[in-house]
Amino acid sequence: MTRIDPPHLRDDRRWMTAPSLGGFVGAALILVVVAAVVGSSRHILPETVVVLLFLTAVLIAAAGFGFWIGIVSAFGALVGVNFMYVEPHFTLRIAQPGDIITLAVFLLAAAITGLISGRLREQVDAAQGRAAALEVLSQVSHELAMATTQTEIAQVAVRHLHALAHGPALALAGVEGQLRLLASEPQGYLPDASELEAADVAWRRGRIEFASAQGWSGSRLTFYPVGTGGSGKRGPVLGHARIAPDRRDHGWREQAIEVILRQTGQALERLALSEEAEAERRRATSEEMRAALLASLSHDLRTPLATILGSVTTLRELGATLSPSAQGDLLAAIEEEAERLGRYVEKLLQLTRLQSGMQVHMAWVDAGDAATASVNRARRSWPNARIEAQIPSLPMIRAEAGLLEQAVFNLIENAVKYAPGVIRVTGEVQGNQLVLSVLDRGRGLPDAIAEWLAQDGMAPVPQGTGLGLPISKGIATSLGGRITAQPGATGGAVLQIRLPVPPEHPLPQTASPAPEPASGQPAKDRPRTDPPEQRA
Amino acid sequence: MSAKPGGRQTILIVDDEPQIQRFLGHALNASGYDTVLAANGHEALARIAAHEPDLMILDLGLPDMNGKEVIERLRLRSDMPVIVLSAHDQEMEKIMALDLGADDFVPKPFGIGELLARLRVSLRPRRAARADLIRQDGLVIDLDGHQVSRDGETLRLTPKEFDLLAALAANAGRVMTHRKLLDLVWGPAHVDDVPYLRVFIGQLRQKLELDPARPGLILTEPGVGYRWAAPPETGAP
Repeated sequence: MTRIDPPHLRDDRRWMTAPSLGGFVGAALILVVVAAVVGSSRHILPETVVVLLFLTAVLIAAAGFGFWIGIVSAFGALVGVNFMYVEPHFTLRIAQPGDIITLAVFLLAAAITGLISGRLREQVDAAQGRAAALEVLSQVSHELAMATTQTEIAQVAVRHLHALAHGPALALAGVEGQLRLLASEPQGYLPDASELEAADVAWRRGRIEFASAQGWSGSRLTFYPVGTGGSGKRGPVLGHARIAPDRRDHGWREQAIEVILRQTGQALERLALSEEAEAERRRATSEEMRAALLASLSHDLRTPLATILGSVTTLRELGATLSPSAQGDLLAAIEEEAERLGRYVEKLLQLTRLQSGMQVHMAWVDAGDAATASVNRARRSWPNARIEAQIPSLPMIRAEAGLLEQAVFNLIENAVKYAPGVIRVTGEVQGNQLVLSVLDRGRGLPDAIAEWLAQDGMAPVPQGTGLGLPISKGIATSLGGRITAQPGATGGAVLQIRLPVPPEHPLPQTASPAPEPASGQPAKDRPRTDPPEQRA
Repeated sequence: MSAKPGGRQTILIVDDEPQIQRFLGHALNASGYDTVLAANGHEALARIAAHEPDLMILDLGLPDMNGKEVIERLRLRSDMPVIVLSAHDQEMEKIMALDLGADDFVPKPFGIGELLARLRVSLRPRRAARADLIRQDGLVIDLDGHQVSRDGETLRLTPKEFDLLAALAANAGRVMTHRKLLDLVWGPAHVDDVPYLRVFIGQLRQKLELDPARPGLILTEPGVGYRWAAPPETGAP
């Protein structure tokens, strides 16, 4: 996920705290400018304007720098008015008693101006603060919703706690009974011994461990246990710095932190729940797969075994009474069924390999050669089957030759078994897909199997499928393609293995045997023009 | 059971696997039976009507209807013996088939000897119909006189124990399901009281068997029922 920095929060602590030096300088500058303007043009300016100008200076200082500077500015302005306006000019003496009243009224007006505009300033700040807090919180909940791991959730929380509390923030999770750092902000911050101890207490007892008060030794961070670690384990602990209690925005920052901690806890619980649900789903799927596989096993393994055992015992026990032709037939049956068992065991091994997430060794493969090899093997296995092949020159694709050959072979085998008649194997390119098709003249594919083929992944195999089709589907999937099925134009079914053609595929016509590069790039990653080795 | 010219009995083989039909055909022909083949339930019922076979070997996993249904339909018009071939995951179906009237079962895969032995037992007319005195292993069971003796010494059985013994011994060599035995001895209201049956079988073994821990007369068919050991065969059919 992308990292979003928390919005900048103003570090604003003017209310009831010592005003900043900058504020004083600013206020003084404003007064000096006003005094200079009045001093240089006092012959033009009416005297009442002089008073108003000083009052304006107080207003600006108070609005800009807050309440206290407003009050101080009021006194500064009083001095200015006294100096510039009250007779005798340019002294601080007051000649006429009436002027004292004027000055007193001015001070009152300036003080009220400072007070009101200062308060206004603070209300604006507070509103901005609340808006910023809302922005932070909505961003936090958005980021938490996007987070998909415990570490990501911890990183989001820690980043915002750091921004809100103006101090280091930590997340620690228990691994085998020990707390390990999950995330920290500023990055690279490592907790000291007292912080680790406090975190440990919070984690083991499952309660908030507050930071020690300022000036006391102990943890500077407050630690909270949050959420759950999934499957009954304790969740991580989050730590954040104390918020200076004299801050004007102390309240909402604390509230924001509280909300963030709660949301983090919820996010962790949601994560744990979804992980459990996912694990449960996976268990159920593999359970169903196993059941389907067993059902298929019962049919495909038992019949050859029963035939072999039955034929052998017949030969042993009734051999003398059997005619020579019957004996020969029984022996042939034993041989056929033993071969069938052998093929079946080979398929089982392949399926196991496919299901355990096998490593596919992708190389440049001539799909046409692979399809031709499967046709040849099928013709050897079933000499009486009528298998026609129309395989033109096809582009090279990324695949594993042996697997591709097996996938096509299984489709042919199914056609031989279930669809008497001519079987056609063809190859073509459709857009950016290479399509190897096996067409038969049988009764068509059962709906359940067609639907199963259309599903993604290794969904439970329908009954009566045997192992050939699941293996072909598994191979097509692991080669980045899929198998589709449709009714044939003249009856029967068309099963197609569709594999992606890489955009930079070398055309078989133009590809020439490349010289072995000196860099030692593995030969299997380069286009090859020799036919892939055929499996017997 | 119709007597065929030449005395050869006809066996109907119902299995959808041609390879199984193939070796069963050879084995049964060599053993002196005629065979009729069927690949599914409908074919089987048609062959029964056309050929009136003496026994049917029925695979429970048929493509068109399950074996139970075939037996149910068969039993409406005939009590021809039926031996079912069953796989391990068809335990429930096998028991139901036996309860519906199949005579025996042979689990797949099987040696031909086992099947032929069951076949001979099933083709033999039931003993109870003619013999009132059963002699086996030094044991003499007088069905009419309700007397059992071993080597001349009378054994004391309760009436229920004797009924159970009679039900088993009259069907020597044939499997008797729990339900069948319970129905015969205690009546249809008790067909599910299998623990009850177990207790009585235990008592019978204590009284009859030479070594009750390793019974040689009352054999257990796990999950299915009990079988009275077939008497030694006196000759081929």
